[in-house]
Amino acid sequence: MKLRILLFIFAILLSGCVDVEICDDNSDSELVAKFKTVKEGLTSDSTVTALSLYGIREGKSDSLLYNSLSTSGFVVPLNPHLPYSSFVLKIDEQIDTLTIYHHQELYLISYTCGFANMFTLEHLEYDMGTIVKDSILNEMVDAEYESDENHIWLYL
Amino acid sequence: MQNMNQMKTISGSISRALFVLLVLALSGQVTAQEVSARDTLRTFGPRFGIDLARFIYIFTDPSEIGAEASVDFEIHKNIYPVFELGYNSISESEELFDYSAGGVYARTGMDYNFLPMKDRSVHHSMTIGFRYGMSVFSHSAENVQIANSYWSEYMPEPYENNLTGHWLEIVGGLKTELVPNLFLGWSVRYKILLNPGMDPAMIPELIPGYSTGGENRAFGFSYSILYKIPLLKR
Repeated sequence: MKLRILLFIFAILLSGCVDVEICDDNSDSELVAKFKTVKEGLTSDSTVTALSLYGIREGKSDSLLYNSLSTSGFVVPLNPHLPYSSFVLKIDEQIDTLTIYHHQELYLISYTCGFANMFTLEHLEYDMGTIVKDSILNEMVDAEYESDENHIWLYL
Repeated sequence: MQNMNQMKTISGSISRALFVLLVLALSGQVTAQEVSARDTLRTFGPRFGIDLARFIYIFTDPSEIGAEASVDFEIHKNIYPVFELGYNSISESEELFDYSAGGVYARTGMDYNFLPMKDRSVHHSMTIGFRYGMSVFSHSAENVQIANSYWSEYMPEPYENNLTGHWLEIVGGLKTELVPNLFLGWSVRYKILLNPGMDPAMIPELIPGYSTGGENRAFGFSYSILYKIPLLKR
């Protein structure tokens, strides 16, 4: 009798199992940048004592993404409305404007979670001398952020 | 609105097709009654069928409509080449976009009847067979919204792609001759998609005649009414 009751409960529990897909609230495609320095021909990580950073948004007020943070890099969302994303960086009292050129394609994350943008990085521009060199390590930027991702290195 | 019209047209076609089949089946019954009960001759001819399961789906999932017809012919003892033709479409409104897909498909293959035949005039069958299926369809996403917390929400142009799907099937089923030349039958199908990466940007929610494009293996079920035109008797 007990076995029958257990089987009955098990059958009810099993029939109640359904796949529920949980979507990430953030579907931004974010670029991961790391600061580097070259000393005596060797490349090493570089940590800045105070990074302030905001994106240049046409028709909208500036909104800081980083506010005087000590960091060895940054993570920023790319602009889906234009073929480039521009950011103002203030690194230890020195200011530079970083423009990242890219193109993008739609891709479906899932039918529940909808679409996201897959950006392909083309090249970078900066003009104030704070950033001296760059290298693109991974030109594809999607909405699935992984902590060990590295898209670009910026040499200071 | 267009879908409603399509459904009405298809529904009208089904009613007409069922009526014609019923008339043909009844005429077959009369012919059979005229023939001696000890008739051991076997009839041969093309057997046309429609898949009734497709119409049940209209009630269980109104966003999906479809129709399927088939024809087979016993060309050799227990060997039935088969050709199937159908249409399938889906239209869904998701939270972040509207999706639609639709197109035609065809399958061709062979069935083998392994039911022992004691009396040649009995046409019941238990078959196993295979099919190669191909679907030509398009799918699209409209009113796409991509949330963006920093640069503001992005609404891209509608996405559309024309695709071709290929798959193989293993099919097993039964067909029972209810009255002479009129059959009811069901089949189950195990399907293997040959080109799952046909659209890397958007996996099709529906490959007409197959299943959803997100599954490289799929099962299918058909429940058909069939009528055989008795061209030959020997």
